[in-house]
Amino acid sequence: MLDEDRLSETFAALASSTRRAILARLAEGEANVNELAGPFDLTLPTISKHIKVLERAGLVVRSQRAQYRPCALDPAPLEEISAWAEQYRPVWEARFDRMSDYLMRLRSHQRTDEHDD
Amino acid sequence: MTDSSVPLDAVVIERSFDAPPALIWQMWTAPEHFKAWYGPDGVTVPVAKMDVRAGGTRLVCLEMNTPGGQRRMWFTGEYREVVENQRLVYTESMSDENGNVLSPSDLGMPQGHPATTVVIVELQDLGSRTKMVLTHTGIAAESPGAAGWAMAFRKLAAHLQAHSARDFG
Repeated sequence: MLDEDRLSETFAALASSTRRAILARLAEGEANVNELAGPFDLTLPTISKHIKVLERAGLVVRSQRAQYRPCALDPAPLEEISAWAEQYRPVWEARFDRMSDYLMRLRSHQRTDEHDD
Repeated sequence: MTDSSVPLDAVVIERSFDAPPALIWQMWTAPEHFKAWYGPDGVTVPVAKMDVRAGGTRLVCLEMNTPGGQRRMWFTGEYREVVENQRLVYTESMSDENGNVLSPSDLGMPQGHPATTVVIVELQDLGSRTKMVLTHTGIAAESPGAAGWAMAFRKLAAHLQAHSARDFG
């Protein structure tokens, strides 16, 4: 079973281009807040806020090493997103089975109507 | 993470129906037809309001019986592309019964955007039959369309893949 709340949080976290860029930077290796702030024209508190969102979504883990506290990427929630999309598949397949049945019922009604005329 | 030919964040389903495109179009755009098939087993569709034109809104209610009683879920969205009998694109977000999109705080999120998805229906005329391709994909509220979101996500996934290949290769 997927954790829906966690998934919503992953999507919310990925909804910002700044946060996606932070993740892309962390894919190169761990970095601290100062290093992450470098390429962006943003203040440290703003970057920290973005990192907190990523942490809550489980996409980033922060080491407890004092002062430096580097951030590292955890890609596990990204893999869950692919599972999120896949869970829609059986729903749509079931819907289209019903659409197919319904179309057949419509056609047989039409034939009956034609026969009555 | 997965084969690159499969988009990570989209469901794509292809089906053929023994009916002309005009009738399949009705299945998606005429509420009385839509209600007849859209609810999966055990789910009914008591409300389907559809203003089928680019920029028009939609509001759909799904009703299901759960152990805790009857439960209603509302979905709203906007039609992005409407090409009769050929192509339909609309967005979908969870909402209340008045079509107000549930805000991040309603979903228990302190900040960010609610998840919105895009549904793309493409119809191809095969004579008396119709080929239908459905694409259901996630987008972020700040993205203007599915493409931007899917592209950004794939870029990120490719990046991660390249990185882990470096680590383990």
